[in-house]
Amino acid sequence: MAHSPFCGSSEHGVTRRSFFGTTVFAGATAFAANMRVMDALKNPCLAGELKRQQKSVILLWLGGGASQFETWDPKPGRPTGGPFRSISTDIPSVQISELMPKMAQRLKTTAIIRSLNTRNADHGGGTRLMETGRAMEQAVDYPDLGALIARELGRADSQVPDYVSMYSETEGRHKGGPGFLGARYAPTFLTESMIPPNIRRPDSLPEVDHQERADLQKLLARRFSERRPNASVASHGMAYERVRGIMASESLFDINKEPQSARDFYGPTQFQEQCLIARRLVEAGVPFVKVARAWWDSHGQNFETHLELCADLDQGMSALLDDLKQRGLLESTLVITLAEFGRTPNINASLGRDHFASAWSCTLSGCGIKGGAVYGKTDPDGHKVVDGEMKSGDLFATIFAALGVDYKKEYHLGARPIPIVDFGCKPTQDVLA
Amino acid sequence: MNLVRCLWSWTVLLSFTGAVTAAEIASPDLTVEQAIDQYVQARISERQLQPAPNADDCTLVRRTSLDLLGRIPTAAEAKRYAESTEADKRLKLVEACLASPDFAYHFRNQLDSLLMGGQKGNHNEFREYLLASVRQNRSWDQMFRDMLIGSDDDAASKGATAFVRVRARELDELTNETSTIFFGVNVSCAKCHDHPLVEDWKQDHYFGMASFFQRTYVTKKNGVAEKFTGEVKFKTTKGEDKVAKFMFLTGATIDEPVVEISAEDRKKLDEEVKKQMQDDKAGPAPKPDFSPRAKLVELALQPANNQMFARAIVNRIWEMYLGRGIVHPVDQMHSGNAASHPELLDWLTRDLIQHQFDLKRLVRGIVLSQAYSRSSEWTASAEWPSPDLFAVALVRPLSPRQYSLSLRLASAAPESYKPEAGGDEWQKRRDELERSAEGFAGQFELPAENFQIGVDEALLFSNSPQVLDDYLRDSPDRLVGAIKALPEKGTQISTAYWTTLSRVPTADEIRACEQYLSKRNDPVAGLRQMVWALLTSPELRFNY
Repeated sequence: MAHSPFCGSSEHGVTRRSFFGTTVFAGATAFAANMRVMDALKNPCLAGELKRQQKSVILLWLGGGASQFETWDPKPGRPTGGPFRSISTDIPSVQISELMPKMAQRLKTTAIIRSLNTRNADHGGGTRLMETGRAMEQAVDYPDLGALIARELGRADSQVPDYVSMYSETEGRHKGGPGFLGARYAPTFLTESMIPPNIRRPDSLPEVDHQERADLQKLLARRFSERRPNASVASHGMAYERVRGIMASESLFDINKEPQSARDFYGPTQFQEQCLIARRLVEAGVPFVKVARAWWDSHGQNFETHLELCADLDQGMSALLDDLKQRGLLESTLVITLAEFGRTPNINASLGRDHFASAWSCTLSGCGIKGGAVYGKTDPDGHKVVDGEMKSGDLFATIFAALGVDYKKEYHLGARPIPIVDFGCKPTQDVLA
Repeated sequence: MNLVRCLWSWTVLLSFTGAVTAAEIASPDLTVEQAIDQYVQARISERQLQPAPNADDCTLVRRTSLDLLGRIPTAAEAKRYAESTEADKRLKLVEACLASPDFAYHFRNQLDSLLMGGQKGNHNEFREYLLASVRQNRSWDQMFRDMLIGSDDDAASKGATAFVRVRARELDELTNETSTIFFGVNVSCAKCHDHPLVEDWKQDHYFGMASFFQRTYVTKKNGVAEKFTGEVKFKTTKGEDKVAKFMFLTGATIDEPVVEISAEDRKKLDEEVKKQMQDDKAGPAPKPDFSPRAKLVELALQPANNQMFARAIVNRIWEMYLGRGIVHPVDQMHSGNAASHPELLDWLTRDLIQHQFDLKRLVRGIVLSQAYSRSSEWTASAEWPSPDLFAVALVRPLSPRQYSLSLRLASAAPESYKPEAGGDEWQKRRDELERSAEGFAGQFELPAENFQIGVDEALLFSNSPQVLDDYLRDSPDRLVGAIKALPEKGTQISTAYWTTLSRVPTADEIRACEQYLSKRNDPVAGLRQMVWALLTSPELRFNY
């Protein structure tokens, strides 16, 4: 019987513990080693390196399921194509829907994937699948992409949130979550208000007192923390350390801090404003921002719906890419468009398209991505994938590879190894730089 | 003594199949705590280590209160214990805690976390069932019966069926969670292939367990019922189609008696089941003569098989008080994952079976042991000992309810809660406390392995006006209001420490607080802030 470390063998427990030593930091380091940042913070050279490498993800979530026919994989003139045409782009052989004219001029920074076959065409199941990169399982509560990125790219002592999720509409509103990674990686979830909860100092407490009260707490806690080195105890101290920084980051969420010119550049819609806020957040070092735009679930009036929503997306996304590029942030920021599934080639009696997960599209732009790449093909009517089929896990592997995160990495849940990407899934090299 | 051992060794040999021989297990005449300490000390001595000394009185009374009462001690309770000179004060403390109304609430909450921890939504009837069961010290095997095959018509088991009901729509969930919770065995990997690392678990075991649940369904009236037919089919990794036998995790199987039934009668039964699932005016669900779930209970509790059931709960209860199972992780009880103290586990298992699965007795023994009472500080120059030696106590985060309850007590005026009053008065007060702590407890998650506190918790305590007002209010029933009235800073500080952290402050702490308070223009604001610093201390957040 092989003595696998995965069976919870106590021998291996001892080995790990003695490897990390018994100093005060031991507890914190032993856990934070997975975050690979606490060691770096102690080493000034590495700290600098890490800052340079600070990467972020902006996920533009097209809640309800955007139609690939009206966005990235048009089929003009076909019975399934609908009334809209396709247009040329800044990539010679590539055409996208005429509803996305601005993005058509920005494919040099963007890779389109047209060959997702994810099989789950149910809002709940599809959302879970595309949020976590794998099918739901009874025994394991998988973390969503935001939690994974917060864990992999975040800093233990970060003065800004690790994971921000904006979902203003009520349809399909879904918080997602960190699963077994725990509440540490839960999102700051903004719905009706753009102000994160408990971020403001209460009126009854002057600034000085707020700070000095925190200093007293830290002072009184020191004896206990030092005598009980333990990752959980350390996280307690770390959480309180971060409070002032997080409070200061409130201004990041305030669009009034941006000059009117920037606001005009993005546009006035809620989605466009949130794209601007996303840029502010990643500029300040937030590793993962999700901006949801609902509700693309066009079972009826598909074409009207997409006329409106695509215009919003086209403007918001292109402004975001331009702005990131101008600020030198695009090479360290990965921008994703994704949904729970796509839409049927078949146009129904209400001029709608229904749920469809057999052949649909998403895009990746920026960090680690080969701009102009188009991966995968669907048949002329868009019924199925004919080349380059990708699963949700493959997309996740690709995302991690683009960000320089080891897609083969494993966490451990008790005795069980949990690879961060679903079994057998690999990055798609064709879209990677 | 030797004669007794001889007699016992024969009896034990007969009842233990494949386990260690009697010669390797200590006498059953030992008390639970004696057996624990004997085995734990043996391994520590083997390593030539000195265990950590006993925790000091304040730490021990705090730990015992949190573990048995679900809350920190009041200042009066802590002081009384620390100042007592009685030789057997620790025994008296444990007995008093076990006899208090607090015990039932907390043990109920612990069992609730074990049984329904992963389930969302509230299940109040189930919690009521647990509370009643703990109060009457219902045996664990009887509770297992209640939960798996109990009836809502029976007062003693009413509410227990929720265990099956909330999971009945997902066969995998019901199978896997029953195996994990009651048998310490997470076989989910064995669904798709023979477990890659564990020889004990093959697909047959997974689907064998699933067959016991396959016929279970929930009626439209929200009752749990069973169909008359049905089997689990699966595909092996070789691609063969197989029909699962009813197989328990030990490999023991049962066969279903063949019943001759006409196609017509079969159709009638199927329609009846369908009606049950769709019609909320249907009568009581028909009960098949052969109930797979009842057979599972029968098999699992048979003397030939019941060690698995007993070991699993022993391990879980051990983990509740020591912070780590004798088998770790607690859902990996198999031959490839050795127990840290196999003979101890066998002894405690045998003891539990022989005492009719009396959980409270086991709890008492664990909490009275030396192993439980060790300090969580390691000051020796030697390397920190491996946690599976239990040579140093583990630091454990408070559960959401423990934290919420403790905060309520810690922020209250010292005299406002008087558990020593006992009787109905304390029963009522304690019940109120339990209810009022419920809401706030929802803000926190159940600690799992590698528990990390997120910045949201720190922000909540730092900035939420409601939280701050509730805990720091300057009113007579609050700690702030009570210490405001004290004449000297010294007593203000020590009262705050006893109430929040159950101990006397050190000289450095007194100095730091005095300095802080002196600098404040507004003395009451200063007290509020000092109390805040203590309430948000890691020392309050953890059980050490």
